[in-house]
Amino acid sequence: VGFSKTGIAALLIALAGIAPARAQDTRIFQFALQNGMQVVVVPDHRAPIVTQMLWYRVGSVDDPPGLSGMAHFFEHMMFRGTPTMPSDQFAQTVARNGGEDNAFTTHDYTCFYEQIAKDRLRLVMGLDADRMVNLDLSDANVNTERAVVLEERRMRTDNDPQSLMREQMDAALQLSHPYGRPVIGWPEEIRHIGRLEARDFYLHHYAPNNAILVVAGDVTAEEVRTDAESAYGKVPARTLVPRAEFAQPPRLGETRLAVTRPDVKVPVFTRIYRVVSYTGAKPGEAEALEVLAQLMGGDATSLFYKELVVKRRLASDAGAAYSGYARDSGEFDVYAVPRPGVRLDVLEQAVDAIIKAYTVAPPGTADLERAKTQLVADATYQRDSQYSLASAYGQALVIGLTADDVEEWPQRIRAVTGEAVQQAAIHDLIKREAVTGILTPAPGQHP
Amino acid sequence: MKRWLISLVVLLAFGSTAQAVEVKSLAAPKGEQVWFVEDHTLPMIAMTVALPAGSAYDPAAKPGLAAFTASLLDEGAGKLNSTQFQTALSNRAIRLSATPDRDWLIISIVTLTDNAKDAFQLLGLALSHPRFDAEAINRVRAQMLSGLAQEDEDPATVAAKGFSRAYFHDHPYAHPVNGTPQSVAAIGAGDLKGFAATHWVRDNVRIAVSGDVDEKTLAGLLASAFGGLPARPAPQLPAVGRVGQPGVQVIPMPVPQPTAIFGLPGLMRNDPDFIPAYVANYILGGGGFSSRLMGEVREKRGLTYDVDTSLQDYRKAGVVVGQVATRANGMRQTLDVIRQTFADYAADGPTDKELADAKTYLTGSFPLAFSSNVGIVGQLNAFQRVGLPVGYVDKRNSLIDAVTVDDVKRVAKRLFDPAKLTIVIGGSLEAARAQAAPLPGADKPVAASAPPRSTDPHPAAPNAGKPVTPKPLAVPGKTVPHKP
Repeated sequence: VGFSKTGIAALLIALAGIAPARAQDTRIFQFALQNGMQVVVVPDHRAPIVTQMLWYRVGSVDDPPGLSGMAHFFEHMMFRGTPTMPSDQFAQTVARNGGEDNAFTTHDYTCFYEQIAKDRLRLVMGLDADRMVNLDLSDANVNTERAVVLEERRMRTDNDPQSLMREQMDAALQLSHPYGRPVIGWPEEIRHIGRLEARDFYLHHYAPNNAILVVAGDVTAEEVRTDAESAYGKVPARTLVPRAEFAQPPRLGETRLAVTRPDVKVPVFTRIYRVVSYTGAKPGEAEALEVLAQLMGGDATSLFYKELVVKRRLASDAGAAYSGYARDSGEFDVYAVPRPGVRLDVLEQAVDAIIKAYTVAPPGTADLERAKTQLVADATYQRDSQYSLASAYGQALVIGLTADDVEEWPQRIRAVTGEAVQQAAIHDLIKREAVTGILTPAPGQHP
Repeated sequence: MKRWLISLVVLLAFGSTAQAVEVKSLAAPKGEQVWFVEDHTLPMIAMTVALPAGSAYDPAAKPGLAAFTASLLDEGAGKLNSTQFQTALSNRAIRLSATPDRDWLIISIVTLTDNAKDAFQLLGLALSHPRFDAEAINRVRAQMLSGLAQEDEDPATVAAKGFSRAYFHDHPYAHPVNGTPQSVAAIGAGDLKGFAATHWVRDNVRIAVSGDVDEKTLAGLLASAFGGLPARPAPQLPAVGRVGQPGVQVIPMPVPQPTAIFGLPGLMRNDPDFIPAYVANYILGGGGFSSRLMGEVREKRGLTYDVDTSLQDYRKAGVVVGQVATRANGMRQTLDVIRQTFADYAADGPTDKELADAKTYLTGSFPLAFSSNVGIVGQLNAFQRVGLPVGYVDKRNSLIDAVTVDDVKRVAKRLFDPAKLTIVIGGSLEAARAQAAPLPGADKPVAASAPPRSTDPHPAAPNAGKPVTPKPLAVPGKTVPHKP
């Protein structure tokens, strides 16, 4: 799901200069239902469409011990029917009404969404309220869906050496925090998920007071309030078990992971730094990491690309990215794919030299401005998609940020100084807080 | 010079609401087709352009030439070398990509209104004065070779290339869009310049624009982007002859989950039964969780995470293509279930309810494609590429509503004969290998239908920066992105 990078934003500033004919008020509205469900309304009147997203504060960090993958598995179970909408009638009903629907799970949250004509908003709210409490968790459903999830794991992870590598590096990066467990789960533990465990998970996490409803689209706040009250308002709140606060003790040394496999055709160098996230950052710190990632490896004008790919011809591709939308630590990734004949240790030294350069001096003004321009424009482009627009608010609120954080994001990016970027490189890109991964083909595989 | 003028306006009404999308057709000086939606809500403009310069125009000995040429579109033009050109784009946050498919080179540009003039001028420079510097050629070649090697890690890509090769025989649709290591290594500056000169022409260009711009301004922008292209006619594609190789072919790979690409003859876009066939395919395998195949293979038996079929409408061929992945010892059963589902459907057709549900989904979800600038230009350009008139936008839903049970029965019987299935599996499974003798050429390097490579020299990292997030539950990217 493609919103790893930017926070999106209200475009009051950007909108000021455009023709008034169809320019719209971009104010959002927030309120809560009596049962504790939070509601956010994001007007977008361009088409008579709505996007409803329901963000539950439950993710794979909440998987019970020995049952990794439970949160993701449960996301699947939410499509397996209720007494009034048995079997696959949820998806069938949405489709029959011209809607699209889907869901996804991360370490921190689980999100369900529908996009549909605005006069069907009430319908999909009713469907989501129904499956919040009335799910049919029969043995047959659980057993079939477990097989489906194991196939999903094979497709996404086991079939893909880069994905397997990533899973192992995340496990190595986290000393004990559940961010080190794969969201989809370890296969042996997925196999241990049964009906009773699923039932228990449902009762503890699926409740209106554990959810944030985001509705973007051609609606008013009052319409959403009325419909949400009649659909979700009747679902009683539950007593929630407080989420565990997991420690993230400092790492005392760098970890290296060297993997050689016959299914690898191209060697890859990767490093993941455990860094601060938006929720743990000092003001401006996460934004400085965004700018640093853009400067270092965000596009073909970045230093990685210009030095490693164009000038020194060590790599065919190289890049960097910051993932800061998390309740606990964030991640800063760098990667490079060597050109044939280039040794990975040579490539790694060149990567390290560039990273070090950012700790020695602030970036040049032109480069800094370009990186900020790119990030701020992302916020506008993201607003073009109702799904991205709703996601920006949902993914911020569900990890404990506010709507203001979303809307002020472009200004905060604009305020990042070269010195702040340098400080972020110094304080966050520390090797003992990183795992370095070397993925290579088995001998004889690579020309 | 003749002006770019509005010649036709079509309203796409959204059900009973007062809202509608106005699609305007501009008359262009050299026969270019331009469709345009004006919307000033956001300070941005999106454009999708198709040039008849896809991989089917590759010379037989040089597969990958169209893709290679496309990859160099943003690698320097006029006085700007590659880095200078990239910097000019990046300074203004202009998003430019060039993606070849089999028939077309598809160019997408997204820009802030403030930078529109520069964006269209830079595109014009790239199209009319590409440099093809040696440095850029060698760098892009290395990227393509690395990409081809990575394609060999992915069983779905390997199977898809094998399918195209098996299905299309000697037609240029058979070869891989991104070429082979041998062909990419052999392509030189002369080939690239020659391909651009021959295929990046004004004839037959299809242009869709949406966003914060008025007609007059747009006319100027379009002239700056396309005015410098030569007006000579675009070359023609050869007709497709023999298609299909019914049976099962296995391309061995060391993966735990083999992936099958299966297909059989479909319909040309101009076939009078195309829309009934589209509805028929939705019911069989195009409808995500609503489809028969998803119900039989995933929901009832837990054999896969995803199974789907789609109607591919190339300019010279129509083909139904499906995909499924399952554990090694589940593939035989999975293919049996798929064949049986095809056979039952061909024999009995749809139920009244299946057809009614298909129609309300297909018509009801159509406006979703028109909810963003990027979505609008993608959808409109998809219509343009298959040669539909602008009025189709408004007529499309009534064509779907007119489809009857008898129509779907007729096309289901005509299309979905399991005996015609060409099946290619990427992966290693004893069970599948035993199902049929391997097809000739099963062990040779296989071809085509790989996801086309963008000219963006900086694709998403191998998982870098992405949360380790199982993506949405259903129907990954392979399904048709646009509605017919």
